[in-house]
Amino acid sequence: MKRAVPALVVLAAIIGGWYALAYSLDNNFASSDGSALIIPPPHRLLEGLNGPTIERIAAATRISLVTAVVGFVLSALLGIVLGIAMSLSRSLASGLWPWLIALQVTPIIVLTPIIVRVVGPSFAARVLVTVLISFFPIASNTLFGLQSVPRALHDVFTLAGSSRMQRLVRLQLPAASPSIFAGLRVAAGLAVIGSIVGDFFFTRGTPGLGRLITYFFLDTRAGPMFVTAFVASLIGLAFFIVVVAANRVCVAPWHRP
Amino acid sequence: MITVGVSSDIALGAEHVSHAYGDADALHDVSLHLRRGEIMALVGPSGCGKTTLLRACAGLLSPTSGHIELAGSANAGGAHNAGARIGFVFQEPALLAWRRVEGNAHLLAGPGDAALVDRLLAATGLSAHRRKWPHELSGGMKMRLSLARTLAARPEILLLDEPFGALDQITRHVLHDEFSTLHSEYRFSALMVTHAIDEAVYLADRVLVMSQAPGRIVAEIVVPYARPRATALRFSSGFAALCGETARHLAGSA
Repeated sequence: MKRAVPALVVLAAIIGGWYALAYSLDNNFASSDGSALIIPPPHRLLEGLNGPTIERIAAATRISLVTAVVGFVLSALLGIVLGIAMSLSRSLASGLWPWLIALQVTPIIVLTPIIVRVVGPSFAARVLVTVLISFFPIASNTLFGLQSVPRALHDVFTLAGSSRMQRLVRLQLPAASPSIFAGLRVAAGLAVIGSIVGDFFFTRGTPGLGRLITYFFLDTRAGPMFVTAFVASLIGLAFFIVVVAANRVCVAPWHRP
Repeated sequence: MITVGVSSDIALGAEHVSHAYGDADALHDVSLHLRRGEIMALVGPSGCGKTTLLRACAGLLSPTSGHIELAGSANAGGAHNAGARIGFVFQEPALLAWRRVEGNAHLLAGPGDAALVDRLLAATGLSAHRRKWPHELSGGMKMRLSLARTLAARPEILLLDEPFGALDQITRHVLHDEFSTLHSEYRFSALMVTHAIDEAVYLADRVLVMSQAPGRIVAEIVVPYARPRATALRFSSGFAALCGETARHLAGSA
């Protein structure tokens, strides 16, 4: 409980700053009905939320959440399989690595329109954007973890006459799991970003959170814009909590860094 | 190259083993014969190739020339061939952090060896700690577990690479006696690398002194004391004289 105090103090400061900003900005309340144009103060956040708006936000949340979940799961599978494959084959690793880096350093937002054009404005395109932004930390952390097993542990398995498969399953993967989980934690945040960024370039169909927030922005509906941002933030938080909880069950009991 | 089936009272023989890492000679024409049931200690300055020799004996490394011979045995297993079963105790405990004490103890044991693992955990004082994770153990307990795990594979030959090197003096002395007890019970042959002279003399039947790299064997000291040996031996003048002699050879070789 005591540990939460500093965080609560910061929260109070943020809310205070939020109020100060909301009431100090010129023209913030210059609309005809007196609602906030730029930043609604915290207690008036839900004012602009009527039934249809709530439905739009719910639909957008569903799309973005499903995209992020499917994209994250596929990223995890792709990243771990790729990491294992690169650990098994040196030539595969040196062949792929520079291009994975090239892909990783390319801002995903410039690839998104290309993907939407090539794949079409489908669910698959959204998922592809999400996978492209989030698989790399999993792949690189898996590879790093598999390669960082101490030599003495390898020797134990060598002396026991273990097969390549036994070594991978009983030694390398468990040893790499803390590193893999660290990659998953980074990827979880990226998957949420990917699902929302990917949405920006969709011009048809039900909007996800990314496109919805641009609608509210263009309509100067500050309240719903903030609520949408909060929902996106909650999705990110939920992802983070799931990965941290899995780490707590699988790795934390035995792992001491 | 490792061959199997030398004369019956030799458990492991190294014949004219030399090894080079690139241009750097690590071992020069080393021959030794470990008798069945014997504990032999190898002492030498650091970097003299002791670990290289031990790894060659285990089949973890192929020496540039010379070969290793193992006594024939009905039991198959180990890295290299169907020879005697070799157990290796590393400098670090080399435990699997994600397995509990009992999981580590069972790692190398056969499917029907649960009773043996239980006995070994009891003998190493770990029975009450079966459900602990390795990070919850002290350094001495980790080394005991490493030893128990290796013995659970029923090795006929134990190769030990400075197994007590990371422990404090008190723990080390306790472990010496525990190791002797395990030896008298399980009757393995042991080749132990160490750079603690008193440890070599206290535990071994013979101490081989190696020279600076490229390592050669420059002296063999026979330790005449019967087993079981007791701590009192450490304070005897004869023990001190043997340690002194070993130290003299070591100094002469450096």
